[in-house]
Amino acid sequence: MSLRTAKIISLLVTLIGVAVVWQGSNFRGLGNQQGYQPAQPINFSHKVHSGDNQIQCLYCHSAADKSKVAGIPAASTCMNCHRQVLKDSPEIQKITTALAQNQPIKWFKVNDLPDHVVFDHSRHVTAAISCQTCHGPVETMERVQQFDALSMGWCVGCHRTHREVTLDETGRPTVTKEATTKRLMASTDCSVCHH
Amino acid sequence: MSRSVNKIWQELLERTADGKPFDLSEKSAIAGISRRTFLEVLGYSTAALALSGCRAPEQAIVPYLKQPVEFTPGVASWFASVCGGCSAACGTLVKVRDGRPIKLEGNPDHPLSSGGLCALAHGMVFSLYDPERLRQPLIASRVATWQEIDNEITQKLGAVKQSGGRIRLLTGPITGPTSLETFKKFLAQFADAKHITYQPVSTDAIRQAHQRSHGVNAIPSYRFDKARLVVSFGADFLGTWISPVVFTRGYAKARSLQNDEREMLRHVQFESHLSLTGSNADTRVKVSLREETRALLYLAMLVAESVASDNASGFSSPDLAQLTYKTRAALELVASELTNHPGSALVVSGSNDPDVQYLVNFINHAVGSYGNTINLTATSADNQSSDQEIIELVRQMNAGEISALIISGVNPAYDYFDRQAFINGIQKVPLKISLNSTMDETTSLADCVCPQSHFLEAWNDVEPVRGTFSVNQPTIAPLFQTRAFQESLLRWSGDGRSFYEVIRQSWREKLFPQQKQYATFDEFWDQTLQKGVTVSESAQSNPAVFKSDGLQEVTSRLISSSRETSDDLGLVLYQSVALRDGQFANSPWLQELPDPITKITWDNYISVSPRYAASSGLEEGRIVRLSKGPAQIELPVHIQPGQHDNVVAIAIGYGRTKAGKAGNNVGGNAYPFVTYDGTFRYQAFGINLEKTANRVEFAQSQSKDSMEDRPLVKELTLTEYTTGEGEHHSEHGSLWSAHDYPEHKWGLAVDLNACVGCSACVLSCQAENNVPVVGKDEVRRRREMHWIRIDRYFEGDREEPKVFYQPVMCQQCDNASCESVCPVLATVHSSEGLNMQVYNRCVGTRYCENNCPYKVRRFNWFEYSHSDPIANLALNPDVTVRSRGVMEKCTFCVQRIEEVKIKARNEGRAINDQEIQPACQQSCPANAIIFGDLTDLKSRVAQLKKSGRNYTLLDELNLQPALSYLAKVRNREEVSSLA
Repeated sequence: MSLRTAKIISLLVTLIGVAVVWQGSNFRGLGNQQGYQPAQPINFSHKVHSGDNQIQCLYCHSAADKSKVAGIPAASTCMNCHRQVLKDSPEIQKITTALAQNQPIKWFKVNDLPDHVVFDHSRHVTAAISCQTCHGPVETMERVQQFDALSMGWCVGCHRTHREVTLDETGRPTVTKEATTKRLMASTDCSVCHH
Repeated sequence: MSRSVNKIWQELLERTADGKPFDLSEKSAIAGISRRTFLEVLGYSTAALALSGCRAPEQAIVPYLKQPVEFTPGVASWFASVCGGCSAACGTLVKVRDGRPIKLEGNPDHPLSSGGLCALAHGMVFSLYDPERLRQPLIASRVATWQEIDNEITQKLGAVKQSGGRIRLLTGPITGPTSLETFKKFLAQFADAKHITYQPVSTDAIRQAHQRSHGVNAIPSYRFDKARLVVSFGADFLGTWISPVVFTRGYAKARSLQNDEREMLRHVQFESHLSLTGSNADTRVKVSLREETRALLYLAMLVAESVASDNASGFSSPDLAQLTYKTRAALELVASELTNHPGSALVVSGSNDPDVQYLVNFINHAVGSYGNTINLTATSADNQSSDQEIIELVRQMNAGEISALIISGVNPAYDYFDRQAFINGIQKVPLKISLNSTMDETTSLADCVCPQSHFLEAWNDVEPVRGTFSVNQPTIAPLFQTRAFQESLLRWSGDGRSFYEVIRQSWREKLFPQQKQYATFDEFWDQTLQKGVTVSESAQSNPAVFKSDGLQEVTSRLISSSRETSDDLGLVLYQSVALRDGQFANSPWLQELPDPITKITWDNYISVSPRYAASSGLEEGRIVRLSKGPAQIELPVHIQPGQHDNVVAIAIGYGRTKAGKAGNNVGGNAYPFVTYDGTFRYQAFGINLEKTANRVEFAQSQSKDSMEDRPLVKELTLTEYTTGEGEHHSEHGSLWSAHDYPEHKWGLAVDLNACVGCSACVLSCQAENNVPVVGKDEVRRRREMHWIRIDRYFEGDREEPKVFYQPVMCQQCDNASCESVCPVLATVHSSEGLNMQVYNRCVGTRYCENNCPYKVRRFNWFEYSHSDPIANLALNPDVTVRSRGVMEKCTFCVQRIEEVKIKARNEGRAINDQEIQPACQQSCPANAIIFGDLTDLKSRVAQLKKSGRNYTLLDELNLQPALSYLAKVRNREEVSSLA
């Protein structure tokens, strides 16, 4: 390696280093998919369905209040309405074909957590946290994108402040144990999500 | 400095495989690259990697086309079914996540197994996803469709039918009434047809003896739960004998001290080698093989004299001089105890000699066991093999008298005692059809291979005990082109129905009319499926009377055969707790499960007593050649405390050659030492032992046998327990401030008095928590990954040790030594008392492992996850698959805690006691593990921790573990004079 190349490389390394220190918060989010908005196999509009037509989130994502996952609706769920509504649209035709050919539709996952994270939809939905709190104004999105960072700091930010129970001066819940289990604070134990 | 560098090089030099030192002058491929270029390349590739990491990951989600109503994605469904691991058919609940069965748990509502499962059952999930299962039918090793093979077989069977040839159906023990009906229907097509049941480890003698003594050709149900005194002559009823889970349940129940009972079952074991059952006995008497028979004779005589004087005349005494003083004294005591326990004693023997079993029946009859601890009405329908039938079959095959042989679920080319005769014979059979599910030793000899579905993929019904019926329901569609073997037989009978329809039809006609609870058949069927079992009330009582006419003949025969001769070194063959008869040897889970007694994995061995080893100059791991006639085996020696000096012992089930990747050539095949004398005998005399020059190191999970005078396992006698003498409470001050647990504090109690060491919890944990298998070599390096281990200690005399078992998993300490040394806070204390291990934070310093006094942390030395698409279906999606360089350990099954917590909170209620059960507790056949919330003072675990038997392990370290042990109690003060 010539001296010149070495100089260039060391200059580059210095510049990158300066950038990392200066814009630290951006680099910390490496792997952050906020704003991720993949094209889906079917041009489905949440705006039309949940915005304009006011269809409840749980109508399609029916597992969200009972399961870890919210669930992507089966093709048969779409056809509940689309057997009548817009059945000739080329996008609906894709679903009809999929059903006819027995070929499941392969959607792209927008909100994807790392494999070492367990998130339970049912607990949040049942605790009356609206879907929009995490997923943003989905009812205005033509094509869904990841609204928030979904990072650990973002989760814990909520869990730290959402304590639904008042504590007495010793730090114990002021209500009885039975009552606390009904409406308890959000945990910040690692093992709640990482196991 | 230079010295240390030299030393490192010295080590490298030593480590070259071929023994040649490294040639340092030679330039390797990397040697041409300068340090600078190397760093440059490294930089570019890192940058490239980082950039590629910025791209959005494309993860697909594929929802159902038509949503099945009964499934919610992400929520497990449970199906009541039965285990197909052996014919005991314990009740199971199969956990199905997103369409795939991932775990078997015990069905608490099952009347026989009542929620217990054995280690083998937990390994069954692995056998479902075994990538080496046969995937489609084969005709002469060529892949075929079911249509083709059905045509081929129907045509050939048609020819057999026409010619009136002899056809035989060879299966393992089948208890299902509908299966047996299907067999009958299939065989009825032929002029000379027969169904033969074959079981490599036979209990035919018990059946024959009952035929002789009571006129009932069956194996009775043994009710250990009703017994107060159990005397066993070499029967390993807690480990491998007939129905170990059911027996362990009953035994543990009768010995339970968890509800402040003041008395417990007493167990006396006479045996030659140390078995799991013997190691749990209150009194264990070591006898040689022939002495075992003599001891039984003497006991029968003593019992006859004191109880049934009318039969006493039939006895001639065995040569008392040939019984050791100790054995005699023990027998005299046992005899008096037996007579003091009328109707609540039980004598069992593991022998397969009908004479021995007849004598056992006599003793049981004399002390009133029949009708109390032995049930001849609800007889056991399993183990229905008649050994004589397969002998006859092999003879006929060799004589060329068999036209067609259909084999299902058995592997005689491996486990028949004269396997060469079987192999020669089968080659003379014109039509050989195998319905086995893997290309095993027998299937590879067949012309047509019609792989059967796994029991988790097919419908079946079973009747393990007369009157107790279960439906085995499929929990997944067949993964491969396989078919239930009954369905194959239906096709070849010209019946186009599915086996499901046949079962329903037969239940509608036979079982439905026998019950009155349900009005319609569909209701009855649905309820049975949901509960997993139905008990028919129509079983007729059978007033069987003991027939003593053969007594004299039997005793005189036994006296002569049990006389000590010069070649008195005896070989005893036994089943290992993990592998049993070897059918599922291809499961690495089972292979890596440490043997409860020896703690050896991935091998079988010749066990010898310490004194025998010393006198023959044998050391641990020395390979010896054992031979008797043509049978020969080369295995390493294991020195086993507690074994009789005149006995060597080998586990069968090893030495498979066509089991698959995990099971091939592990250990040696000891089946050739089995002999036949009316029934198969698992003992041999006149054996020859030769030392070889080789030696191996065992892959052992525990190498230290002694507690080194530390009170790791505490033991009390029953008197000490009932008088409260053995109680010991310790209080420690602490420098640490106490933790605050606002909601829950999880705790666990392990009842060492209940635990028998069967190791089912180890595999249950492995299946639940995605614990990897590391292989023989890594176990040798003490790198096994089991989150729960069972420590086994021998105390006292090496010739007659006391054995202790202690399950050890993470103790979830309040003053945890692991938490204070982690530099990255990857292990921290939760607000519910758990020591959390956060995999994504762990950097692998292993400080925590070093600082843990219980040695329960496991480090991923390698990337154990693999990309096999079939085998990975067994993974539990609720538990992270750990990667290389990460520490892991028992979490008290935190995923189950969270699941129940979420469920309870969603429903707005408190968590019920026993609603959360970690995997180890759920299917423990002995109910030895109890989990719960310690802040709930009414919980079972909090109650148990108040017991006088409660203590914590390594109490002096004051780590304040959430796990505590309940001391073991031995019911043996009466015999302390003997010890």
